[in-house]
This record gives sequence, structure tokens and C-alpha cells, in this order.
Amino acid sequence: MRQKSRWKPWSYCVPALLLILVVIVFPIAYTGYISLTNMNLYHWTDYGFIGLSNYARALFKFDSGFLAALATTLVWTVLNMAIQIGLGFFIALGLNAPGLRLKRVYKTLLMVPWAVPAYISILLWRVGMFNTEFGILNKFLAMLGFDKVDFLASNGIAFLSCMALNLWMALPFMISTIDGALQSVDGSLYESATLDGAGFWVRTWSITVPAIRPIIAPAAVMTTFITFKQFDIIYLLTQQRGYMTGATLNTVITYAHQNAFASNNYGLSSAVSMLLFVVIILFSILTNRSLRED
Amino acid sequence: MKKVTALLLAMLLCFTALAGCSQSEPQGSGAPPSNPPQNSSSPSEPVTITVWHDGDEGIMQTIAGQINAQLADDQITVVFEKKTDMPNQLKLYGSDASNAPDMYFYAHDVLGSFVAMDIVAPLSDVVDTSILANHLPMTVEAGQIGGTQYLLPVYFETLVFLYNKTLWEGDIPGTTEELYDYMVAHTDTAAGTYAVVNQHTNAYNVSPFINGFGGYIIDENAKPGLTDSRTIEAATYNQKFGALQADGDYNTVTTLFNEGKAAAIIGGPWLVSGIEAAGIDYGIASLSDIKLPNGSGLAPFSGIQGAGVLKVALAKKDALAKVLTAMASPEVGVDLANKSGCAPANNKSYDDPQVTANEMIAVIQKTASTAQPMPNIPEMGVMWGPVETMLTAINKNGADPAQAAADAQAAAEQAIADMQ
Repeated sequence: MRQKSRWKPWSYCVPALLLILVVIVFPIAYTGYISLTNMNLYHWTDYGFIGLSNYARALFKFDSGFLAALATTLVWTVLNMAIQIGLGFFIALGLNAPGLRLKRVYKTLLMVPWAVPAYISILLWRVGMFNTEFGILNKFLAMLGFDKVDFLASNGIAFLSCMALNLWMALPFMISTIDGALQSVDGSLYESATLDGAGFWVRTWSITVPAIRPIIAPAAVMTTFITFKQFDIIYLLTQQRGYMTGATLNTVITYAHQNAFASNNYGLSSAVSMLLFVVIILFSILTNRSLRED
Repeated sequence: MKKVTALLLAMLLCFTALAGCSQSEPQGSGAPPSNPPQNSSSPSEPVTITVWHDGDEGIMQTIAGQINAQLADDQITVVFEKKTDMPNQLKLYGSDASNAPDMYFYAHDVLGSFVAMDIVAPLSDVVDTSILANHLPMTVEAGQIGGTQYLLPVYFETLVFLYNKTLWEGDIPGTTEELYDYMVAHTDTAAGTYAVVNQHTNAYNVSPFINGFGGYIIDENAKPGLTDSRTIEAATYNQKFGALQADGDYNTVTTLFNEGKAAAIIGGPWLVSGIEAAGIDYGIASLSDIKLPNGSGLAPFSGIQGAGVLKVALAKKDALAKVLTAMASPEVGVDLANKSGCAPANNKSYDDPQVTANEMIAVIQKTASTAQPMPNIPEMGVMWGPVETMLTAINKNGADPAQAAADAQAAAEQAIADMQ
């Protein structure tokens, strides 16, 4: 009887586990397998096992260029997350301000950037905002009598432009998460704090932040990973073939794509992917540990 | 009862999740599941030949219409299916008998990759290559790898000089220096009006300069030529033109021309439908008529569009032979020329007076005298990125051309080494 009850919960979980196995575990395991073969353009179907030699080659991809890309990725992740959480928090607070009219309309409008497919948003920003001839930013600058600015031409300005777009796309998720968390804070705490003479900043720092932190932490961790492995914004805004802008900005993922994936050598690119996978897992362990300590 | 229901539902979910993993019965060898099994000795049964492409739907419909009309009695139907980023899709599915098409239709520069992957069959395995007897030699050679014919050339295209007759003042200059002087006099970047626009960081669009100076992107032995002194000279010379040609991406330059903000554009026949839709009265000139300082005419790359046969489709040999024969006929070329302004690969098509009267085709044919077919070796696939990086660094970041070329050469050599 005890034996039976031990297996029963597992049997209920089988569909979900099976799905995870097929959708998540199998692709990783298969990439691991391909990384040990010589699958490339010349051995498309007749590829064979070649041991760890792809890993030896992949390690050479982790050169000074990779380290620069890693540094850019870390700065990118830290800045984006700090602004997302900070700005998201204050916008969410604003949306919850007592007496604010048309709250629901604002909240719905704020969801629009999140609802638009990323590819469409990026193309819209590239042409509609940043383009030197047709972009709204340059039209505005021209109206004020300034010269045209190529917002994607050099690394510094391209970094800021990419960040602006990333914030536009990612903020709605953070705002809605914080907004949801704010709803769960007990209003009586604010009332008693106000009676005790606490002002806005004290109330926010001593009541709101501690109360919502456990709720927004998973969302923040998730967004941190999405930001860390960002590819499409930087690639589509600055590196897409036919649309290279002059910026040589790279995150670890765009660097790996540029250096390994363009060659149609699936063995080598799988080895690079597996090494990146290890980097991201390590990053994840560190983040989770610091979160737990918190 | 609840527990039983939950268990049953869990089992049902497992089975449905795994249902997609089942393998269907193989249908013939190489035939898509929707097609009946083929018997190469009984062509009277209806046969559908699927062709993947990533081109203009109108052009493909013209080809399909002509072939299907010719093969109606044989009950053979050709169906063109558009696949975005077709070369990469074919890399994934080309050796998969249940998903691969029977043929593909694309430019010749990806042929080397497909041959290296061993997914395309030599034309001689399917049909007598004498069907190419009347084709232009340049187009036939572009479809060969190691002397073996893999691609049936159907039409070819190259870059031309398209100008707005209302905006352009005077004649088209005969030299690049005169053209540059015209550009300096008629370009106002602050106001957003340009004399000539070009995708000046795109290797294909800068090829008229590179080839004209005697430089090269990659040679037949897969050696990148970006540090060749003539390639560097061409990239350096192109820099001053780029400074007067706006951002240089496809959307920007085509919109500038179509909105009447640029008087001329360097582009191909694929731009014509947009230009006509914009109501622009345009003229066409050959780039080979515009001479570089070394006396050579601008020499753009040419792209030969044609069809290849997938190895997994060889069970349909008889039908494929008939399709290829029909596709090689002068009638397909005439139809393409008259309906879509494409320059036919079959020389016989030019016997038609309407074809010879077509201005775009006449200019493309003339440019073919200096145009060079894009390299079709597999290594060409990894060259576009480094060349574009080099041109972008020179034109947009003011990098030293020799240094940019050295960096790009190193990147190209690494990418080629990574292919192995």
C-alpha cells in the first residue's frame, strides 16, 4: 500500500515530466551529443564521433573578444535590470496612487510594447526611430536645427539605443509584476505608519520594498537571464547582414553567433553552445545563492 | 473515481504527447507524403513536383504556368513553395526524404554548399545536359561545381544604374569621376536629397568597384582576397561615394529613390515593381558604360537563378527530366522576360522581338560583358559577413582600409577554417 502511494504522485506528474524531457532536456542532450561529432557542411549525414576536439577549438573562441563581450554583457545586464526594477517600481507606484483616474487605460497601454512581437518592435525602432533619413528622432532634431545623428553607428550610442529599446520592451512585464505585488501589501500597515508620522520614503523603504521583494524576486531573476542572453535586439539593430551599422557591440551570444554559428559547423557551434550553457548555469547558481542569502 | 479519472487523463496526455513522435510509413523513396508513390517507368500517373524557392512569387508563377502548360498531357504538375531563408531550410531538410522538396530554385552562389552537403544530384543523373546547348556559357558555367553541372540556369540578373528621368540632369556620366562630381553637386545630406544611392556596405553592391579594380572576394581555391591591393584600392575608392549615399541599407535607399529623394539608385530588376508602383518615370543604364579611373567599366556580380534536383527525389526521374526540359525551353525565358523583365539564360529566347525590345533586359545583357558570376564554392557562404564588416568599418567608422581589410581577411580565414 505504501509502495503504491509512493508512485502515485509521480504517475500524475508523468505528462509534465515528459514534456520537460522532450522540450528542454532532449535538445540540450542532443546538442551535447552533436558537440562530440564532426557534423559540418562536409559531413552532413555521415558525421562521426570525434571526442572532445570541438571543445578544444571552442575554448579558443573564448579569447579577448569574448572577454570584452562578457564585460559588455555584464554592464548591459546590470544597467538594464537596475533601471527596469527602479523605473518599474516607481511607475507601478504611480499607477497605484490613490485618486488616479483611468488607471486601467494606462495599464493596458503599458502592456502594448510587451504584446508586440520582438522582431516587429525592433524593425519599427530601427526604421521608425533611429533611421537617419526617416527616423522620428532625427526628424525632431532637424526641427530643432541640429545635425542628423546616427544612433546606431558607434558602440557608445548604439549601446544606449539598444538599451532604450530593451527597456521599452521589457518594462511592461516588470511594471505589471510590481503592480500585482503592490496589491498584496496590507493597507493597514501604511495607515499605522502614517499615524506614527512616517513619510512617503520611509513608508516605501520600510513597508513596500520588504513586502514586495519575495514576490518580484522570481520575476527579477527570470528577467536577468533574459537580459543576459539578449541576442535579437543587438543583432537586428546593429549586425544583421545588409544592415550593419558600424557598431561593433557584442554580447556573449552575438559574439558566439558571429564566431561559430556562421560557419555551418554544427559540431563546433554545439560545443560553443554547451560552454555558454555552463557559463549561464554558473551565473544562475550564483544568482540563486545570493537570492537565498538575501 | 476522481483518482481513476486523473490517472486516465495523465495516461491520455502521455499518449497524445508521444503521438507526434510516431513515424509514418515511408512513401516511395523521396516522395513527399502527400504524393503517391512514383514508378519511374509509368509516367502516365499524375505526378506533382515540389520546388522550394525564396524569390518573387510572380516570377515563380510565370515559370510554373509555362511548365504546367507544356506538361499537361503528361499529368505532371509543378508546384512552387516559398520558403523564407530557403538555403538554411534546405540544409535542415534536404536529406530528409519525407520533408525535402523534389527541386529547389535559387541563385547559383549557394550551390557549392548544397553539393558539399551531398544533397543535390548532377543534372546528368536525370536528364541529357544537351538541353543546355543554347544557354549562355556564363550561366551554364555558374551552375557547375568541379566541372559537373548541378544547376539548370533559367534567368540571370545583375546590377544596373536606374535613374529618375524627372530628377536627373543631363546625360549619365561616362566615368566614375564625373559621376562623383555630379553627386557632390547634387547631394544635400542635411536636407535628405541625394544624387545617387547605393547599398555601399553590401559586398554585392560594391562588387562593381571590387571587380572593376581587378580585386576579388574569394578565388576558386577558396583563398579570400580582401587584403589584395586591388580589393583595398576598390574599397578605398568606394568610400567617397558611400559618404554621399545615405545610410546604405536596402530599405533606406529604395525608399529614398521611390519617394523621389534620390535621383538614381544602383540596383537590380527586383526594384522595378516598386519603382513602377511609385509612379516614377525611370531610365536604365549599364554600369559597364561607366568607367573607373583605370579605364575598366564597373563590373558587378551577376546572379544566375536556376533549379537543382534533390537526390532524395531521384525516384521521380522521368517526371523530373520532363520538368527540367520544359524549364530549359526558350518559351519559359520569353514568358519571364515579357512578364517579369528577367533576362533569360536561354539564348534562343532572344529571338523573340519583344524580349530584345525590353530595356531592362538589353541593359542586363550589355552589363553581362563585364559582369562576373558570384563565386559558387561553399566557402563563399561565409564571406559575405567579413566583407560587409570591412566595408562598414571603412565607410561608416572611417577605419583605415588596409587595417579593416586585414581584420576581415583574418575573420574570413577563421570562418573558412571553422567550416571543416
